[in-house]
Amino acid sequence: MSGGGWSGIPWSWNLFTDIRLLWSYEFMRNAIEAGTIIAILAGIIGYFVVLRRSAFASHALGHTGFSGAAAAVLVGVQPVYGLLIFTMATGSGMAVLGNRASSRDVEIGTVLAFALGLGLLFLSLYRGYAQEAYSILFGEVLGISTAQVAFTFWSSLLVLALLTLIYRPLLFSSLDEDVAEAKGMPLLLLNLAFMLVLAVAISFAVQIIGVLLIFALMVTPAAIAVRLTSRSLWAVIVSVFVAVTAVWAGLFVALWTNYPASFFIVGIIFVEYVCVRGVGSLRETALLQGVEAPEGDGVRSLRNASLIASVSQVLFVVGAALLTLALLAHPGGAWDPGQLYARASWAILALASAGILGAAASLLYFSGFRKMSTASREFINPAFLTLVGLLGIALTAGGLGLFLSGVALAASAYGLAPVAELFGVPLVFLGAILSVVGLVGQAVGSWRMGLRYQERALRTGAVLMVLPLVGYGVTYLGYRRALARGPAPPQSGPLE
Amino acid sequence: MGGPTSISAERVEVRYRNKLVWKDATFDIRPGEFVAVIGPNGAGKTTLFRMLLGLHWPSSGALTVFGARPRRGNYRIGYVPQRHTLDKETHLECDKLVRLAYPGTRWGPGKRWRPLQWGPRFNLAAERDAAAQALEDVGAPDLGTKALGALSGGELQRIFLAEALVGNPDMLLLDEPLSNLDLRRSRELVETIHGVVRSRGVTTLLVAHDINPMIKCLNKVIYIANGKVAVGTPDDVLTSARLSELYGVPVEVLHDSRGNIVIVGGEDDRGEEGA
Repeated sequence: MSGGGWSGIPWSWNLFTDIRLLWSYEFMRNAIEAGTIIAILAGIIGYFVVLRRSAFASHALGHTGFSGAAAAVLVGVQPVYGLLIFTMATGSGMAVLGNRASSRDVEIGTVLAFALGLGLLFLSLYRGYAQEAYSILFGEVLGISTAQVAFTFWSSLLVLALLTLIYRPLLFSSLDEDVAEAKGMPLLLLNLAFMLVLAVAISFAVQIIGVLLIFALMVTPAAIAVRLTSRSLWAVIVSVFVAVTAVWAGLFVALWTNYPASFFIVGIIFVEYVCVRGVGSLRETALLQGVEAPEGDGVRSLRNASLIASVSQVLFVVGAALLTLALLAHPGGAWDPGQLYARASWAILALASAGILGAAASLLYFSGFRKMSTASREFINPAFLTLVGLLGIALTAGGLGLFLSGVALAASAYGLAPVAELFGVPLVFLGAILSVVGLVGQAVGSWRMGLRYQERALRTGAVLMVLPLVGYGVTYLGYRRALARGPAPPQSGPLE
Repeated sequence: MGGPTSISAERVEVRYRNKLVWKDATFDIRPGEFVAVIGPNGAGKTTLFRMLLGLHWPSSGALTVFGARPRRGNYRIGYVPQRHTLDKETHLECDKLVRLAYPGTRWGPGKRWRPLQWGPRFNLAAERDAAAQALEDVGAPDLGTKALGALSGGELQRIFLAEALVGNPDMLLLDEPLSNLDLRRSRELVETIHGVVRSRGVTTLLVAHDINPMIKCLNKVIYIANGKVAVGTPDDVLTSARLSELYGVPVEVLHDSRGNIVIVGGEDDRGEEGA
């Protein structure tokens, strides 16, 4: 979106009607379709970019694309064609210089600066200078036509087919170039094919996110993924997931708040990256090394945790119901915090206590799994995931606080209000995702406890965690019985 | 002598960028032999490997590998280079690297081996079993699920060895696998390699700076120095007379009570090569 100015969507509090409404606008449909295709493409190719360490090369390819797009604008064709020609030409050049050449910072940086300068010259020769420059540099996702979506789709399909053909030798030569050479793999050809694939992906991604922000979509999702898993297939899946959810959330929030989608996409990916780096280093530290404690202590913590979590869930359901009732009674009051507080004070109180109790329960779950991990290493991952969930709750609370203060400020007409809202919404979104991760961790941990204690109620409760209210309740019963009974003897042990 | 040879060199001379590296190398390596390639830095040890791999050609003389001219992409050779592209930031399972090196199935008319597999692989079971076997053979069955970037130097060398072994080669070329390893780790790795040499009957050439960790397992030594190449059994080559002749200056080979060797002199009279 170029600077906003469009705010025609009548929003409601019903997410489903909102999404149906969005889908009824053609430009919105195009944006979502193109965004999804490009996010999938970027997520997959980004994995190879990270493994080959050609992140800076891909950044530079985007910049040479700027002069291409500018040249295309000057001669009056779609910028994407100029992007494709210029990035493919530069990519081929880099490939001929060799894979090692694409990590030469100084050479790449020099070419990059020249390409930006050239783009500037082309654009200044063109009259609608500022507008076009803005959309190439920062993306113009809402300006994508139906024909462009089709072009993007078929080209992406072609590129992915090529990548499927070459991925094995490509991956191998990325990891062990000398052996690949000795094995007779055509390194130059592989390099060339990959740079062309990368050039196409970058040319499309520039339409969404712009030349300057390309790094966030092409590289960071894969960088997040490789920190979470060292399996290549899972890494590609996570990378695609991160890219696609960021693009969707970015588009949705952008339309809602009327600020540029590029910012939200980049912002969400950035916060995710910081969290993964932060949590990743937590994983290495003593926090997860387990503590020396009798196993009963661990089970007791988990029992208390599931009890508190059940109460929190009850409060959450009650609060959500009260809030919905209040909003249904006065649909207009949602944007007026004063009115909202007055009409739904009980609901807000219930939700706030649900959040606090939920955080306390997560903390107890974490401590319980950590104690269990001295008895069995299989509880380290549940402890880790619970910690992630705790982070999610904190982010949700922080984001909600920012958002609400933004709304409150808007009511009293302060200029800073949109900024608070801007940062608040993606944080809530991200926090919600991470909270679900924590929930999964608790479910997995309860399942493993159920196996360890041969307690069916725990395993049933773990599965029922899809409905947290029921799941927490049933696992609470399970933990109580497990505590009374003690662990089952190991099945492979000698019988006496 | 006669009989089949794994490597046969006849008056081979090699140049690199028109500069003579070494000349007059005549030797035979027989199947299943464990050979150390020793010599100072820049003497042309890696160049020998590159010639065997078909990446560099002798300027004169005849060199054959399994009775044929060396060629690039020879599936019968497993290669572990000295340098690797990997670093601490490589978040990929070891198992994956080994499996990617699996050369694939025979295809087409006759018994041609497919050196690299394009596209997705469908006979995953064969690949998985071959990788598991290779990891087992190098004594690292439990490293498969670890990330490459998280391994220690010795563990990494085992993975590279498995990567070279997974194609079931008849010859292994190992370029300085023992560098950066302490003496104990070196001995352990040599034991592993020697076990593979015996159980798989694979001809193995190993470039090293220090001959002592492997001196008891070796069949032959290739000593490259001063533009010349000396080949023979360790007792034959590592003598004061032979090395003095090779370097053209007096060199002394000292033996300690446990069979370790120290070489004094040779490199400008100051090096302690092999110590």
